[in-house]
Amino acid sequence: MIKIEGLTILVESFKIKDLDIAIDEGGFHFLLGPTGSGKTLILESIMGLHKPRGGKIWVGDREVQNLPPERREISYVPQDLALFPHLTVKENILYGIHARNLNPAVYKDYVRSLIEVMRVDHLLERYPANLSGGEKKRTALLRALAPRPKLLLLDEPLSGLDPSMKIEIQHLLKTLHASFHPTTLCVTHDFEEAYFLGDEITICIDGKVEQAGKKNDVFLRPRSKKVAQFLGARNLFKAKVLDKDESEQRWILGVNGLYFSVPESSCLNSTGIGKDVDLFIRSEEVMIIRDGKSVKDSLKRNIFEGEIIDIIDKGRYSVIYFQSTEGKILFEISIPNYAFRNLELSVGKGIKAALREESLWVMT
Amino acid sequence: MSFRYTMMGAAIGLFVFYFGLLLSLFSFVHGGGFWSALTNPYTLFSIQLSLITATAATFFALVIGLPAAYALSRFEFPGKRILDTFLEIPMIISPIALGASLLVFFNTPLGEIIQRKGVFFVFEVPGIVLAQFATIAGLTTRLMKVSLDEISPRYEAVARSLGSSPWKAFSKITLPLALRGLLASVILAWAKALGEFGATVMVAGAMPGKTETMPIAIYTALSSANIDKTVVLILILALFGLGTLYGARLTGKRFRYD
Repeated sequence: MIKIEGLTILVESFKIKDLDIAIDEGGFHFLLGPTGSGKTLILESIMGLHKPRGGKIWVGDREVQNLPPERREISYVPQDLALFPHLTVKENILYGIHARNLNPAVYKDYVRSLIEVMRVDHLLERYPANLSGGEKKRTALLRALAPRPKLLLLDEPLSGLDPSMKIEIQHLLKTLHASFHPTTLCVTHDFEEAYFLGDEITICIDGKVEQAGKKNDVFLRPRSKKVAQFLGARNLFKAKVLDKDESEQRWILGVNGLYFSVPESSCLNSTGIGKDVDLFIRSEEVMIIRDGKSVKDSLKRNIFEGEIIDIIDKGRYSVIYFQSTEGKILFEISIPNYAFRNLELSVGKGIKAALREESLWVMT
Repeated sequence: MSFRYTMMGAAIGLFVFYFGLLLSLFSFVHGGGFWSALTNPYTLFSIQLSLITATAATFFALVIGLPAAYALSRFEFPGKRILDTFLEIPMIISPIALGASLLVFFNTPLGEIIQRKGVFFVFEVPGIVLAQFATIAGLTTRLMKVSLDEISPRYEAVARSLGSSPWKAFSKITLPLALRGLLASVILAWAKALGEFGATVMVAGAMPGKTETMPIAIYTALSSANIDKTVVLILILALFGLGTLYGARLTGKRFRYD
């Protein structure tokens, strides 16, 4: 178990205040924040390069915030990887085992299996200068994991890779985590990467933790408009509470003359009738209703008629811009391309869109 | 004239200028006189003394300059900029002024105590080493700092996260990576110490067979119109200097891991 409590860091103009993170043993935790928000600084402070102004860091039952980096048992993979250029891949991998005076014989099988999973067997005698971007990433990960650290810190592990390599390393990280369960804290600005790999997510904006929790909670139920916007929320509307149905525990919201029925459980805090709120639904949670098909109960209360304004093919999925007839509200709908092809959609076509009600989220 | 040839013309012009200077020395070389000047015990002594003192001064400049360069490259501390500026002192005041400052220092109460209780510097061999050290220490530190600046501190950060102490991370990672630059700095410092004149003559004087280094011997030989000895010493100094500088260039060759 890794626990960071009230970590306060002040380095030059960067200030991080009261950062709390808890990672279960074997967990994959993402620290998500915009570029330049001090994420690397947080990792370097956890690792021991910067002395925090306050707070505590526990690695297991050891309090480590006053220990030098070499005694924390925390491995670090920086964004630029920092593979030692004068050492071969093999020497890089074994560096931590030698530096910590560990018995190489004890680690032999473990390192061998890491090498197999990371597919670097054929690279062991090469120098980093002769490796491709993906091979360098794999070597850096392997070097960090070889001495079996109590915590693995990853700084933007998928940055600087071309799309196909990015997917490969992403899957490799997933396999690696599933096979060896290293407790991992990863920082990134890429929320898709965090969603794909992470168990839990902490959102840090402007040096402050805005939200932390299970990835689905964070993505579907952002605590604030700021978090929603950072997570790339498209369907974020200024709404007014028009009515409350106490018997059914639902709120009726109005946006530009369009009515939404939202369960009370999907509202962050209670508020009064007539108050302004922010209504949010992710673009993947808006469905297109096909004629003649039965509609699930969870979709029935929020079905809107309208017209397709634009369609953008993003490769693996398509983004459909749908405007409701009433209220002229513009929704963004994401559909995987295999499903998109069956729907026979085109710009100007009239369709019905439904919002999955458990995915609606109201921020007061 | 094209841009390319103008630039190259300037470079070739410089080469011709320096090479012509060296070449002109040979017009004064006469077999017998040259040989007797070369084998003269005072000439051999000044060569030997120069090699020993330059090596010692370079050693001290390395031992003190390397940690200082590391501190300036890696750490932030109060007075860092002032210290950094002071490294330029040997370059902004003439070597004679530097030597004179040392001489004045040894006439202060502290300087006198050092001379009485410790090592005697004025008009002695340790004075040569000190004068050469004073001339090269700033430059050596500055050059080594540049070499260390080129090595990302992240390498050490990663090494420490993998279990290395700061000393071990420095010796296993930063030092080998900066070795080329450090070696070139040391070689340049040694060549500069070998040719040092002003500060040395002020602190150690020009006593043949005692404190007369090669540059001082050139000066005294020319003063007494001993052209053969002057030419021999200039050629030897040029040979050592060019040899070491060529060595510094060789350190720039690619390593196996490049």
